[in-house]
Amino acid sequence: MRSEPPSHIELLRGTLDLLILRTLLTGPTHGHAIAKHIQRTSEDLLQVETGSLYPALHRLEARGWIAAFWELSMKGKRARVYRLTRQGRKQLAAEQSKWETFSRAMRLIVNPAGQEGQ
Amino acid sequence: MSPFFQKLRSLLHRRRKEEDFRDELQFHLDEEAEERQAEGLPSEEARCAARRDIGNITLVQEEARAAWTWTYMEQFAQDCRYGFRTIAANKTFSLLAILSLALGIGANTAIYSFMDSLLLRSLPVSDPESLAVLNWGANPTGRDFVMRGMSGSTWRDSKWAESAGIFPFPAFELIRTNSGAVFSSVFAYYPTRKVNVMVKGEAEQASGEFVSGDYFRGLEVLPAAGRLIIPDDDRVGAPAVVVLSFAFSQRRFGDAASAPGQSILINNVPFTVAGIAPPGFFGVDPAAAPDFYVPLHTNLLFPLRARATDPQVYLDQNYYWLEMMARLRPGVSLTQAQAVLGPVFHRWVASTANDRERATLPELLIREGATGLNTLRRQYSKPLYVLLAMVGLILAIACANIANLLLARATARRREMAVRLSMGAGRFRVIRQLLTESVLLASIGGVLGVAFAIWGIRFLTLLLANGREDFTLHPHLNWHVLGVAVLLSLLTGLLFGLAPALQATRVDVMPALKETRAGQPGSQHSFRRASLSQVLVATQIGISLLMLVAAGLFVRTLSNLQSIQLGFSRENVLLFRINARQAGHRDPEIVTFYSDLQTRFSAIPGIRGASASQSPLLGEGTWSGWVVPVGQQRKAPTHILMTAPDFFKTMQIPVVLGRAFDDRDQPGSRAVAVVSEAYVKRNFPDRNPLGQHIVISRRPPLEDRDVEIVGVAKNVRYGALKGEFRDIAYLPFNQGSYYPVEEMTFALRTSGDPLRYINAVRAIVSHADARVPVTDVKTQVAQVDQMMNQEIIFARLCTAFAILALLIACVGLYGTMSYTVARRTSEIGIRIALGAQRGAVVWMVLRQAFVLAVVGLAIGIPTALGISRFVESFLFGVKPNSTAALVLAVAILLSAVLVAGYMPARKASRIDPMIAVRHE
Repeated sequence: MRSEPPSHIELLRGTLDLLILRTLLTGPTHGHAIAKHIQRTSEDLLQVETGSLYPALHRLEARGWIAAFWELSMKGKRARVYRLTRQGRKQLAAEQSKWETFSRAMRLIVNPAGQEGQ
Repeated sequence: MSPFFQKLRSLLHRRRKEEDFRDELQFHLDEEAEERQAEGLPSEEARCAARRDIGNITLVQEEARAAWTWTYMEQFAQDCRYGFRTIAANKTFSLLAILSLALGIGANTAIYSFMDSLLLRSLPVSDPESLAVLNWGANPTGRDFVMRGMSGSTWRDSKWAESAGIFPFPAFELIRTNSGAVFSSVFAYYPTRKVNVMVKGEAEQASGEFVSGDYFRGLEVLPAAGRLIIPDDDRVGAPAVVVLSFAFSQRRFGDAASAPGQSILINNVPFTVAGIAPPGFFGVDPAAAPDFYVPLHTNLLFPLRARATDPQVYLDQNYYWLEMMARLRPGVSLTQAQAVLGPVFHRWVASTANDRERATLPELLIREGATGLNTLRRQYSKPLYVLLAMVGLILAIACANIANLLLARATARRREMAVRLSMGAGRFRVIRQLLTESVLLASIGGVLGVAFAIWGIRFLTLLLANGREDFTLHPHLNWHVLGVAVLLSLLTGLLFGLAPALQATRVDVMPALKETRAGQPGSQHSFRRASLSQVLVATQIGISLLMLVAAGLFVRTLSNLQSIQLGFSRENVLLFRINARQAGHRDPEIVTFYSDLQTRFSAIPGIRGASASQSPLLGEGTWSGWVVPVGQQRKAPTHILMTAPDFFKTMQIPVVLGRAFDDRDQPGSRAVAVVSEAYVKRNFPDRNPLGQHIVISRRPPLEDRDVEIVGVAKNVRYGALKGEFRDIAYLPFNQGSYYPVEEMTFALRTSGDPLRYINAVRAIVSHADARVPVTDVKTQVAQVDQMMNQEIIFARLCTAFAILALLIACVGLYGTMSYTVARRTSEIGIRIALGAQRGAVVWMVLRQAFVLAVVGLAIGIPTALGISRFVESFLFGVKPNSTAALVLAVAILLSAVLVAGYMPARKASRIDPMIAVRHE
């Protein structure tokens, strides 16, 4: 049996795009691996629903931020592999700075100045 | 690649894309399963877990696809495909719906296209918005009015007892000199009426317009060839020039460019063609399309025809004949122009009036001129509004019917809807699909409707023109009209689709799914559905009643008109007009010319009598003036008709006293007259009129004329069908007792079809003088019918509309009752099984139909009574709230309801209780 994930949190709207783009920065990979990577890197706090992952991937592809190609996997199966495009890199930078501003703002409110050190 | 092209490409490689995506998901599933197997799950369980994890695969696929496609468009296309399939699957329903919509939309489009050409289209000149028309309005009380003589027409509207667009020439000068601040130009015109135009030796009757020098400059029209009339052409003594209409020049010269410089004869006066008006230009009145334009002052060149060709007319301040338009200076409004010129005109008109006339002076009215004069509008706009209301009601009934049918179908589709909703379709999405279906239905109806409209426009043009050659109202399908048709289709689609769609999607999923296909108990929803459809049927019945009442009123009006006693016999009379003066005949020879023709016409085999009068008895205006017995005061104007011998015999007007005109009445012999009974009643109530002398007033330079009454004729209808019989004085046309003879309308009493004799008549006239055309050939019956044209149209159209409305309503009622019976099959079966009589069952169903009818009547009767007064002006001899018409309409309606209700009722009474109960 699979162990219960430690409590997982709901993804904020619009953050999935950022997570996918950031994951692909390390190199091209397929959908399943992207989901696993996000899950693992977040120490199982973030669970990516398959139901939203693939529509998101296709949306990003339609916008031209990522590109897809077919590759044979190590087990000899055809896998659809995604890579970051140049436009995608720009978008990633923009999303990242937007996220940082947002999270800083959140932190300032949730953790007022005095308690920041704790 | 831009997203647009990507989407386009994905549309083309759709199948491969779908396969790829399936592969991708499959790979994901495999990976996931493998991973779980690695964690220790058995292979089968691992596969299931992976599947569970992914959730609704179809949904994922759909969402991924959404990234690549225009979802909205795709769904729309899907809905359309599905809609077409539904339409094709229900052939009878679709055919009925499409056909009734097509009729409704077609009729509305056709009538609207008339409205469009009549009320909305601007004159084809540059900047029509800055044109203004000058009118006046007055409320004269007695006989004393500053307009002592006129040529043209006046009309009555809501505010003014008398208003008109005609002015004396000095008023035109006054406006022209005082309007510099508000008008950039002022121009005047009046019609030539029918004249004889000779081009290259060939004569024809044509009508033109006398125009002031500024006419074309004011309208800002450019010539198609040559030049147009300029102010210098419009003065006494200027060379006579004419501008031809484009159509006329093409017809007579073959090509517009070759006409300028050529010479033509108008009433035997030579004119030089100066230029050609642009194609599409029809002057300022959409009701008239002049063939040519001549300078105003050339009217002095014409032989005496009417008062307007007398030089005195340019000085007379009390003779009204010229129409005026003006172009506003930029930035000047109609109100400003009115404020400037109103007082100017008032001061002037006061100076032309005597003390008694000054009490009720006309007031200058400056009106919008963009759509030109409104003679046609006055004539046809009200009938068209009435027709538009009728076809609008028909469309409403048709919509109600389709809504009703859709409601019934919605019940049949409850299971389908429930399945859709339970599988996760959003309610809005389902409504959208249902609406797409109904709009699709309406659009097909609309396309067909435009085809009907084209046909309807032709038919209506034919009806309205009713044989008149000079009918100028020619509507055609333009973008306005098509736009209205499209809008109408969409609107009707939404209108009849929305309620059923809302109802259909308001299903409780569980009970609906559990229902069997047939015989469901009336749940709360189906009860509500039934009540909505009953409201629709009742409304239809109410509207049908309105149409039936209207049809009754109009048919009654027509039959009243047709049974009017004319005072002469209309059967077997051929009428035609001959104008010898325009072809160059002069006094006194012209009288001989007409007399000779009369003799020759009488000699045609089969002609039982031939005569002539200066105008036909009916179908035209009358001549009238003062004819006062010697030594008496003026009482009322008398209508005057100059006739050739044998007129009374030919028209079969009985002479009750004295004698008719005969060979004794020659030029130079004793001047005589025959008067009508009405004239005798007014002027000689207690005396023998024979031998009495009466005085006919004439305008200078002609002197008043004393004539002796030699006969009294029975009353006839002269000039109008309705109203009191008019006082008439008949004068021999050869004694010069009134004005010089111009044209004559001949009347031939024939054996058999009058139109058979046309060729013989033409041969005789052409033999006598080839320059003289024979015009306005028609039978007396046709001429009388033409006077009732509007009434005939209304009676026919309205009857057709009423039958149509009744039919549609009956179909609606039949449908509703059949549905009710079908729903109650088992209940009725049980009743019959328990011993209910068949008759009682029939009555039970019929009663329901009659309840609907009564509710419809309760709506319809007060409405009919309330709005029938709007058509009062179209009626003759019947009151708008006529009980007879109402009772008849109710009777027809109830019998129709009986027929429509009886069929389902009979069916109900034949229900076999065994089958009905086993059904359950």
